[in-house]
Amino acid sequence: MGHANVGESNGDVPSDGDRIAAPLHGSNRSFMPAVSQSDTLLIDRIRGGESDAWDELIGRFEGRLLAFVEARLRDRSTSEDVVQETFIGFLTSLPNYDTRRPLESYLFSIAAHKLTDHLRRQGRRPALPLVSGGTSSGEEWEVPGSQRPASSLARSGERKHLEETALVQAIAQLLAHWRSRGDWEKIQCTELLFVRGVANKDVALRLGISEQTVANYKFDFLAKLRAAVRQQGLPEEVFPELSPEAP
Amino acid sequence: MFSDVELEAYLDEALPGDAMSRIEAEVRTSADLATRLAGIHARRDSGAHSLGDIWRRHRLTCPTRNELGSFLLGVLPEGHAAYIAFHLREAGCRLCQANHDDLQRQQAESADAGQRRRRKYFESSAGYLRRP
Repeated sequence: MGHANVGESNGDVPSDGDRIAAPLHGSNRSFMPAVSQSDTLLIDRIRGGESDAWDELIGRFEGRLLAFVEARLRDRSTSEDVVQETFIGFLTSLPNYDTRRPLESYLFSIAAHKLTDHLRRQGRRPALPLVSGGTSSGEEWEVPGSQRPASSLARSGERKHLEETALVQAIAQLLAHWRSRGDWEKIQCTELLFVRGVANKDVALRLGISEQTVANYKFDFLAKLRAAVRQQGLPEEVFPELSPEAP
Repeated sequence: MFSDVELEAYLDEALPGDAMSRIEAEVRTSADLATRLAGIHARRDSGAHSLGDIWRRHRLTCPTRNELGSFLLGVLPEGHAAYIAFHLREAGCRLCQANHDDLQRQQAESADAGQRRRRKYFESSAGYLRRP
């Protein structure tokens, strides 16, 4: 079986090609802001070679990047080295950076890649086996709960972008609605289920609510997303978690 | 047993440090887990969307840095503050935790220490700036 560093960095910084721009904002939303004008101007100055602007960017972001890396490595000196590589990676990738993407998120994604590279070099993060993806035998990966092979999911980056945007809008609207009503419990429940992957019964324990309530929140959330996907005329099979057969 | 959503977050280096280390330790000895991870990666590569991936990428529930500062100062309304505490401790958002820790460290650290690091980063990277 071949091996590759699947799911891990190849040393390059992430591509912006298939990312959409800033997070979308619903009413009463106070989540992460859209791309700030000051960040855009700062990037323009750095692209123009202004060392003061580069110094300013370092000053603004190095502390949070160091905290991110150090939380994992538990070693200040090595963490500083990884942050240093992150800044160099940012400058070398600058010609490809899409300024519609929030600067902080972009820097964190580079730091995560550099961190992963470091852990792999240390032998802490193993390479993963290659899985079938259109082999000579014709085997292909399939969406769980679907009869469609991976090849049938092939579509343009623009199409994927539209799908993702539609889903982001639907989720953001739900979150904004819950927030406007002070319904923090629903937000917490949904986040534990779908972002942390916590099982229903453990979510119930952590939030001090019944498993039935968790199941109701989950059902309601998925039903609303399914409706949004249908309304937009998007293919449901590209969202495996929305399938009624999903676990 | 790790859930697929957790493993996805692992591939994105998005779980809290202790959870990352637990999976890392197990994947070194478990071929089954390594194969599961590779399968998840292939599924994403093939174009399937994941709610957790999209939620994280767009930081749909991340507070702003200003809000984290207000949280540290204890000046947010109760419900909002409780949610941010949850987001940091229970949801384990690595990026917000990094911002939170940075803000906390700024209060404790001497100006010299931060200045030394910034100088080091600048000197090692400024050569990569494009000159017009």
